Amino acid sequence: MNALIELNEITKNYGSHRALDRVSLTIESGITSLLGPNGAGKSTLIKVLLGLLRATSGKGRLMDFQLGRHNRQIREQVGYMPEDDCYLSGLSGVESVQVSAQLSRFASLEALRRAHEILDFCGMGQERYRTVETYSTGMRQKLRFAQALVHDPPILILDEPTSGLDPSERESMLNRIKILAREKGKAVLLCTHILPDVQAVSDAVVILANGRVRVADRLDRLSVPMAPSLRVQVLGDAEAFLSQLEMAGLTVRPGVNGAITVDGLHEELAEQIWQVARRAGVGVRSIEHSRNSLEEIFLTAVREQPDGHP
Amino acid sequence: MAIHDVGYRAWKGSLNSPWTRWTVITRTGVRRAWQSTWLKRMMLFAWIPAVWFAAGFFLWEQLLLNQDALQEIPPFLVDELHDLELEGFSGGIYIEDERVARHSVWSWLLYFFFRYPQGGLMVLMVGIIAPPLISQDVRSRAFLLYFSRPIARWQYALGKLATVWIYLLMISAAPALLLYVLGVFMSPSVQVIGDTWDLPLRIIAASGVLMIPMASLALCLSSLTEESRYAGFAWFAVWILGGFAYAVMTAVELEITKEPDSSILDKWSPLSLYHALGEVQSWVFGFAPFEQIQFAALLLVLITLISTAILFRRISAPLRA
Repeated sequence: MNALIELNEITKNYGSHRALDRVSLTIESGITSLLGPNGAGKSTLIKVLLGLLRATSGKGRLMDFQLGRHNRQIREQVGYMPEDDCYLSGLSGVESVQVSAQLSRFASLEALRRAHEILDFCGMGQERYRTVETYSTGMRQKLRFAQALVHDPPILILDEPTSGLDPSERESMLNRIKILAREKGKAVLLCTHILPDVQAVSDAVVILANGRVRVADRLDRLSVPMAPSLRVQVLGDAEAFLSQLEMAGLTVRPGVNGAITVDGLHEELAEQIWQVARRAGVGVRSIEHSRNSLEEIFLTAVREQPDGHP
Repeated sequence: MAIHDVGYRAWKGSLNSPWTRWTVITRTGVRRAWQSTWLKRMMLFAWIPAVWFAAGFFLWEQLLLNQDALQEIPPFLVDELHDLELEGFSGGIYIEDERVARHSVWSWLLYFFFRYPQGGLMVLMVGIIAPPLISQDVRSRAFLLYFSRPIARWQYALGKLATVWIYLLMISAAPALLLYVLGVFMSPSVQVIGDTWDLPLRIIAASGVLMIPMASLALCLSSLTEESRYAGFAWFAVWILGGFAYAVMTAVELEITKEPDSSILDKWSPLSLYHALGEVQSWVFGFAPFEQIQFAALLLVLITLISTAILFRRISAPLRA
């Protein structure tokens, strides 16, 4: 696949605070999710990509355009949906999308036609004729999505596109994102805190913490554990069970949601686990081949020290 | 539900020139401002003085056809005309050179039109249009929507400034140029155009003097707050406090010197934007030498530069955060 976005040692300082620390990344077509705790540097990274902020050092390119040098051309190629509740006040929904298209150099009438077409795609009905101030959070989300999409950009940067949406609207939004990426060939950079959304649509994941890239890989590769292991869930005192497993000479570690990961995959291992459970007086709820869940990947990544060690 | 939902379709077509982007911001601003009923009323009201001044042009041209009527002018008006020291006249009211006299009377009418009715109406009109122009964008965080597009900050600022300029042109240059054209039609010969060719240029220059510093100042105030009403208060406070300071200082000095002297009025005019604007416009229409208005002109230049600098800084601020 072709790399659409390439960043090389990008650093951004705000005074003495380092928001991005030597960020190197390659983002290909498909859906890439950008994850990280609050203050990780996600918004700064997006602003650097859009040329709204100049990187303190480092180089990068978006398609064939150099960051910091061809900012206007970059913004021609990107559709950005901000997380902030921002809108053009006093305008109706359709006028807002029309103005966005006109700012991307569409002629007035064509901008209006395209605005209606995109609002249809976004599932916005007659409410498009109301002023934006009267919109609910979910409607504003759809409107910002339409504004990002109206000029048919090859790259979409979507910041929290599903926050504030009810479950059915959220599913519709994710479906639209999938259609744009899989059927229309757009590259989507999805910035979100909602891990099930990431799991549902993403091809690749980038995890930022303290301004550094902790994880950047395809989601299917990240899901495969480093070594074969079993994931055990029990009913009862999980901590006592974990101690008993250790005393039995097994290599174990606690996982998320009370699960326990037991390294190894030989035939006697499951039998051994059953016996320890009987001795510890706990009931076994499940024993399965473990896969790294996104939650585990995320928590492990953000807990890591800056030098990369857990 | 759409009647003909075609799903998502890629777009192919020709794009407008990148240099026209700021006009989108202007058109949106003009359209939004025009939604105000007060602005529509104000626009109607702002054209009423033009009707009175059209009557002035008509009377002047009638006087030229029947110059004996000048003898019947009441004595207090003769004194007033004498004080004006208009070119082309002798003894205040006797026309020496008809062509020169026409030029000076038209200039005076246009200057008076700019300085008094339109000067005051401009303050009110800008007070309606400008305060929400940027403050609402600050409040609704629209900067992110604008600047994530290929829009430069100067294009955004120019688009907003042009919104104010267009409305100011509608109440200053547009009626003044119409008055000039009416004057030409009411005059006996098209030769008048040759005698007064500079007046349309002076009208445009006087409009520029009005538009550029005032729009910059008003938008600077608008960019400083999220609340349009605060920007509106600040705008009117600048005019009211400036006028008050000017009135107090000239009254105090006149009381001290006990001698009415027009240089006292000129001396304190930089205190009041209204008087500073009037001074510079009197120079534009040829009624004052530059030396007399240089401080007022400097004030307007400084206001324009400082306001524009603050405006650009404020526009950039939300993106640096």
